[in-house]
Amino acid sequence: MHQQKFLFPFLLFLLGVALLTTSPAAGATVSGRVVGSDGKGVAQAIVFVQALPPGVTPPPVSQSAIMDQVNKTFVPGLLPVVAGTEVHFPNHDQIQHHVYSFSRTKSFELPLYKGEEASPVVFDKAGVVKVGCNIHDWMSGIILVLPTPYYAVTDEGGQFTLQDLPPGAYTLACWHALSQVKVEETVQQVQADENSPEVKFTLSLATARPHPAIRGARGDR
Amino acid sequence: MGARMERQCAHSMNRLALLFPLLLGFFLLGAALPPAWGQYEVEQEKPFWIRGLLDVRVAQGGQAPSWTDRGPGKTRYGGRSTSLGFERVTRVALSQLAIEVGGTLPWGIRAQAQLNWDTDINGDARPSLIEAFLRKEWGEWENGWGFQTGVMNIPFSLEHVGPAWTPQYTLSASALNSWIWEEIRLVGVEGERWQVTKAGIRLDLLTGAGFGPDQLGRLLAVRGWALGDVLSGVNSDLPLPARGVQTAIFYEEDYRPAIYTWFTISDERERGALRIGYLDNLGDQGTTGVWETRFGMVGAILHPLARMDLLVQYLEGVARVRSPSNDSSLRAFYVLLSYHYQGHRLSVRYDDFRVHDLDGTPSTRERGDGVTLAYLFEFGLHHRVGFEYIWLHSHRPTSMPPDPSQDGWQLSYRFRY
Repeated sequence: MHQQKFLFPFLLFLLGVALLTTSPAAGATVSGRVVGSDGKGVAQAIVFVQALPPGVTPPPVSQSAIMDQVNKTFVPGLLPVVAGTEVHFPNHDQIQHHVYSFSRTKSFELPLYKGEEASPVVFDKAGVVKVGCNIHDWMSGIILVLPTPYYAVTDEGGQFTLQDLPPGAYTLACWHALSQVKVEETVQQVQADENSPEVKFTLSLATARPHPAIRGARGDR
Repeated sequence: MGARMERQCAHSMNRLALLFPLLLGFFLLGAALPPAWGQYEVEQEKPFWIRGLLDVRVAQGGQAPSWTDRGPGKTRYGGRSTSLGFERVTRVALSQLAIEVGGTLPWGIRAQAQLNWDTDINGDARPSLIEAFLRKEWGEWENGWGFQTGVMNIPFSLEHVGPAWTPQYTLSASALNSWIWEEIRLVGVEGERWQVTKAGIRLDLLTGAGFGPDQLGRLLAVRGWALGDVLSGVNSDLPLPARGVQTAIFYEEDYRPAIYTWFTISDERERGALRIGYLDNLGDQGTTGVWETRFGMVGAILHPLARMDLLVQYLEGVARVRSPSNDSSLRAFYVLLSYHYQGHRLSVRYDDFRVHDLDGTPSTRERGDGVTLAYLFEFGLHHRVGFEYIWLHSHRPTSMPPDPSQDGWQLSYRFRY
């Protein structure tokens, strides 16, 4: 009787330890590379899941992101976010900026401001949002609003890794700011499981249009 | 007739009955279609841009007519002469109408130009060419080079940093910077080098040379200092007190270029910046009508608090001309404190200015000081209203009267796009 008195708490303790030390089942990983028409890796491409398999519910993600303004430059210049994210546009320059976008995906304007006075903007629709400053014409940034939280940005070698994908069949697509290949032409169906194949995207990139800035003393306004 | 209408009605109903399932099917099919991809396309950038600015004022200056009306007044908008003397006038004026255009040329060259219409300065609808230049830069913010050529201002004003080169903190700039933008415009070239050191100090050295300012200094010697927001174009002629006399902004007789340099040292985030400038027009006094003018300048911009700007600037120089001799030394100083929060900005500035006569008659002597108080409010995306009051005291023995009343106010509405 005395032994039974301690048995239940002991079992409860063991159950607790088991729960604490057991990690949730890790998802599948899909990795691959984005290359240009010359076979070299393409950096700053974004590979993303366009459509989730039936029954897969995406995990909750941060609903807030920041596109800063430093030295009359948007930082980062390319910001991928999930639809529904609110983006803050602090201005850490000592001059005022007038941030705007006339993109179809999201149109907005933030009147002249400095510091962290501007209200955040919610990006609730997937697509590309080009951001600029009405005072400093050379300032240009892109917010890529994605339909799911499963995306990856390629490194300098063009490599990417999509992690923690629940097993299933996914529709992947690849985007790059200078790509001449339309996103729908990059779509690939991939089975995400323990033996996910390497995925390769090939893009043809246009030459970047220069944005001649004024970084010298004449630009201090 | 009635049966025919009934048949037509029944026929229409049948067509609608067929149409409804078709519309429903189309709607359902549309709903089931995969998402459109067009939203991932990056819109093409336009290689050119255009911006505009319109500023309308209701203004009441001092009793004396403004210098823009060839009077002794020190502000842009003054009073008028009557048979009983001077009297104040409240007027509505188009203070500025500006168009800025720019674009990207091959090899990453930047092209930019600005035209202003200021009817009270040129006296007609002739536009003033404020600037028109080509610029090329190499490098990044931390380390780079720049080269520029064309019609340019000199970048010495710490206040003219608003859209279309308007004063940012007040409606009227200080005496010092008003003069910079009234009388100095040139056609030339300049080079620039900047670098951020390992200690996080940003150094910027700009040096240039250009033609045009052979009469630089004449305005200060003959008219004296003034407070305003006049932006002269390279093709402008500014009125002088004597009837029918004016000074040309671009006047090149000795074919010797003016040289200037502008050095800036600041922390990487520009919370504080010290600026030093020097200009010498290298004027040849042996050439008729050519002034020899040079001046040095030192200024600082500090942001002691996140929403506070503190500006200090000092200028000292000399302007000489022969036949007739009219030499003067020039000095101006101001300190400006500005607080801004969201669209609101409140600024106060103290000005002090002097002209010392160096060679007797005709005397160019002048001394004066003043306080400017301004409140500006940006609202919406393109609108700004502003109010400014200036108390200004000046003494210039050759003016009539030598101590004109100079307090006045301005109400401004500005639209920019």
